[in-house]
Amino acid sequence: MGYAEFKAPKGVIKVELELTNDAISQVSISGDFFMYPEDALERLEQTLVGVKADRESLLAAVQRFYGSTGAQTPMVEPEHWVEAILRAAGE
Amino acid sequence: MEWRLLPLRVDDASMSMAIDEALLKLNAESKSPNTIRFWRWLPSTVSIGCFQSVEREVDLEVAKHHGVDVVRRITGGGAVFHDHDGELTYSVVCKQGDVPDDIIESYRLICGGLVRGFERLGLRAEFKPVNDVLGNGKKISGSAQTRRWGSVLQHGTVLIAPDMRLMFELLRVSPEKISDKFIASVFERVTTIERELGRKPSFEEVKEAMSRGFEKSLGLKLSEGELTSDEVELASELKPKYASDKWLRKR
Repeated sequence: MGYAEFKAPKGVIKVELELTNDAISQVSISGDFFMYPEDALERLEQTLVGVKADRESLLAAVQRFYGSTGAQTPMVEPEHWVEAILRAAGE
Repeated sequence: MEWRLLPLRVDDASMSMAIDEALLKLNAESKSPNTIRFWRWLPSTVSIGCFQSVEREVDLEVAKHHGVDVVRRITGGGAVFHDHDGELTYSVVCKQGDVPDDIIESYRLICGGLVRGFERLGLRAEFKPVNDVLGNGKKISGSAQTRRWGSVLQHGTVLIAPDMRLMFELLRVSPEKISDKFIASVFERVTTIERELGRKPSFEEVKEAMSRGFEKSLGLKLSEGELTSDEVELASELKPKYASDKWLRKR
């Protein structure tokens, strides 16, 4: 289990994850950010499972999440989730 | 436009959370009018944002020792210490169409009521996006909003004179924030009405100032009303969820 935090312009993103063969097999995200609608966070976690823990793959997955859910996260950008996940993957 | 203003209530955490959700749900079904209310917490409570991990954010031992309750909100954002004797919470519930679609603009509009309220009390106040209000340049109020079923719930804290030391004992501050010299600067960045005015106004006085502020900023007239029996009934149904360990430890 890797764990890391990343401070986005609005909110600290906290990520706990497990890697299997360089891909995310389990991930749990918490923090004091805002996301509308709120149940989208579970969708983000589901989207990330099976994704390779490199910047390019993660960014594509996060952008896919925003595209398919229309979720809004004021002052938190796709790159911020990726940064938090990469840090946790490196732990 | 006429909205309902409810009397100041004092409830435990799960009841307060349940009332907010009941108002939101019934407003969405057009069974409750747009409503503003002010309330206090008994016992004092730490509320955490809906995405936060309770274990990571709150020292549950300290909470237990001080008889402080802990509850998870349905709104995002951070952990807040609601001191029974030093903090007033407000809720605004309205149709989504009555505030801007843009999230930050809708915070700006609703927080504008607080800004005018603080000004009435004699402070210089301003909105700081996304969800804060500054009094004399320091954070004095934070809010959180959710949008569900076509309606908006925004609730938030007005710091009158909370026990700040207890607050920092209760809340686990993240290492990232410490690296920002968070602790050292917190008393420079956060303030209370008591500190700025040199006196502690009554809860009713603050409620009155904020109510007039909301009327001005939202361009509405508040008329006093009570919770309906439908609202009380739905809140009673929702209350056990907020009191449950399952909900508290969701993340």
